[in-house]
Amino acid sequence: MSELLLSVKNLSVSYDTEAGSLQALRRANLAARAGEVIGIVGESGCGKSTLASALINLLATNARVVEGSVDFNGRDILSLSAEEKRHVRGRHIAMIFQDPMTSFNPVLRLGDQLVDFQDQLDLPQREKRERACAMLARVGIPDPAYNMNRYVHELSGGMRQRVAIAAALLMTPDVLIADEPTTALDVTMEAQIIHLMRELRHDYNGAIIVITHHLGLVGELCDRVYVMYAGQVVEEGSTDDIYHNPRHPYTQALNACDPAHLEEAVATLPTIAGRLPDLVTPPQGCSFVDRCPIATTHCRNAPPAMVEVAAGHHALCHEARR
Amino acid sequence: MSAVFEIRDGAVDLVPPVPVLKRLSPDPALRINILRGINFAIAPGEVLGLVGESGSGKSTLARVMVGLQPMSQGSLAFEGKPLITRQDFSAFRRRGALMFQDPVASLSPRRKVEQLVIEPFVIQGQAPPDLSARAAQLLERVGLPASIGQRYPHELSGGQARRVCVARALALNPSLLIADEPTAGLDVSVQAEILNLMTGLKTDLGLSFLIITHNLAMVRHVSSRIAILYLGRLVELGTTREIFARPAHHYTQSLIASEPQPDPRKRRSDLALKGEIPSVLARPVGCAFHTRCPAVRPLCKTAEPKLAATNAGRATACHYPIT
Repeated sequence: MSELLLSVKNLSVSYDTEAGSLQALRRANLAARAGEVIGIVGESGCGKSTLASALINLLATNARVVEGSVDFNGRDILSLSAEEKRHVRGRHIAMIFQDPMTSFNPVLRLGDQLVDFQDQLDLPQREKRERACAMLARVGIPDPAYNMNRYVHELSGGMRQRVAIAAALLMTPDVLIADEPTTALDVTMEAQIIHLMRELRHDYNGAIIVITHHLGLVGELCDRVYVMYAGQVVEEGSTDDIYHNPRHPYTQALNACDPAHLEEAVATLPTIAGRLPDLVTPPQGCSFVDRCPIATTHCRNAPPAMVEVAAGHHALCHEARR
Repeated sequence: MSAVFEIRDGAVDLVPPVPVLKRLSPDPALRINILRGINFAIAPGEVLGLVGESGSGKSTLARVMVGLQPMSQGSLAFEGKPLITRQDFSAFRRRGALMFQDPVASLSPRRKVEQLVIEPFVIQGQAPPDLSARAAQLLERVGLPASIGQRYPHELSGGQARRVCVARALALNPSLLIADEPTAGLDVSVQAEILNLMTGLKTDLGLSFLIITHNLAMVRHVSSRIAILYLGRLVELGTTREIFARPAHHYTQSLIASEPQPDPRKRRSDLALKGEIPSVLARPVGCAFHTRCPAVRPLCKTAEPKLAATNAGRATACHYPIT
């Protein structure tokens, strides 16, 4: 197996809110290896953005790490000083955000910003410009020298996302995190960005972590998937296992809701009845119990443990082996 | 039965922004044609899906339909009556509602949900005596508890805000609902709930819908017919089943093939559609799609294809349709 780059161990993060301490992330585990593309899937409020913020050390000011660690290069990056964190961020762990419009400064030329992003490299200015230009060409920007002199508002949505990907890859980070990289785009642009990321993964030996609620993106791009619900990782496995043999009832329900999953048109689409539990006072047993079609009294009382259903396929469910 | 809504030969031209000094003597040739030759009808109880990429003119078309954007030529008719004057549109907006793309932006942040839901009555001067009860009734119809009425829009989730917009659109008992990207930005399970709600309303109230979207997987389950728009032209029209089974236009086929597949075993290695939709400022000569078309031939670069009926209820604008 390839080198382990990043590992999240038993990470719990809470937000201090007026209503009390909101347990956004509860004992989450994740491992990212060189050369693989990982998907983190879940609906709004499941903790996927909190997990991503923890990975790149951008947690909100009211967030508190209750327990656990994020190990990178043999060190827990959560315990680094602010200065050390700044050196890791961008250089070793980079991020692509959902809205590329707001990832760039609107009043600076793109080329100048791409040069600034290489602040930590000890190279002459001219060489940094050349690297930026070559990277723009690599991500499929036509006429990169001309586009270096343009502003972000002059580009289309698809082009902006390409530039954002170029910016993230400039420092050849070990881990690249993409937060909903295609949500703001059309189907055709989405297909092109997926295609680009697939190409890039071949000449890039880091780990790519894709955070999304779009199962189509996961199916097209990821090798392994972590499914999150109510702040917990509820299932982990290969993309094929998660799609064809999901063991957690939430994963099954999520798959069923996706209109792209159904071959034939149906009058009524399946939904997941009920709501997310309140994370200020999470349920004592399984978090999914109120919405689960196969829940038993045992599920209500005892929290489930991660069960290995097959090699590399785990589910947080009492009934995972049924 | 006659159509609920009909648009014939609809066209929209916009004048590009002109520098101040030149505004005194505008150049009449400086007009950008955004939409041309738009023809379709929505039958009672029908859900028509209008599909296209950003920049294809979908939202402009929705604005034209409710009179927010004047047409440069063509005619509109609602339930057989032509829509020409402001009074016509004003009367139409009592019977036809538009749901805007961003639900939170379309709800005033300073008003409670209850006030927002009954706003249509106030605007149309038809305020019923028991407004609170009416608001509660509307909220109940879209599956929200009456207590939501006392909240402000920022206290709602994305799905709830979307439901409030549906409730508001239903206030005046419309016969047509135009929904611009009704599920954009929603989680899949909430998306399914909103779509089921719309399907239920169609069955219960006999509503007709126009759903504007670029999400093919979604439109496939809710609409009975689909119109595909590319750079301001209708390129294909037909029943949903037919279009998905046998797309006739190369654009439609590429669009269907571009849809990401959740099943990793169906991964595609090639790219169905390269490049971007051209700018309306530099519309390609001939067929607008020829710059990206996989089956382009010389004729496509010179002559613009007309939307022609291929068989019953089916039309396509392509010189060499897929057979």
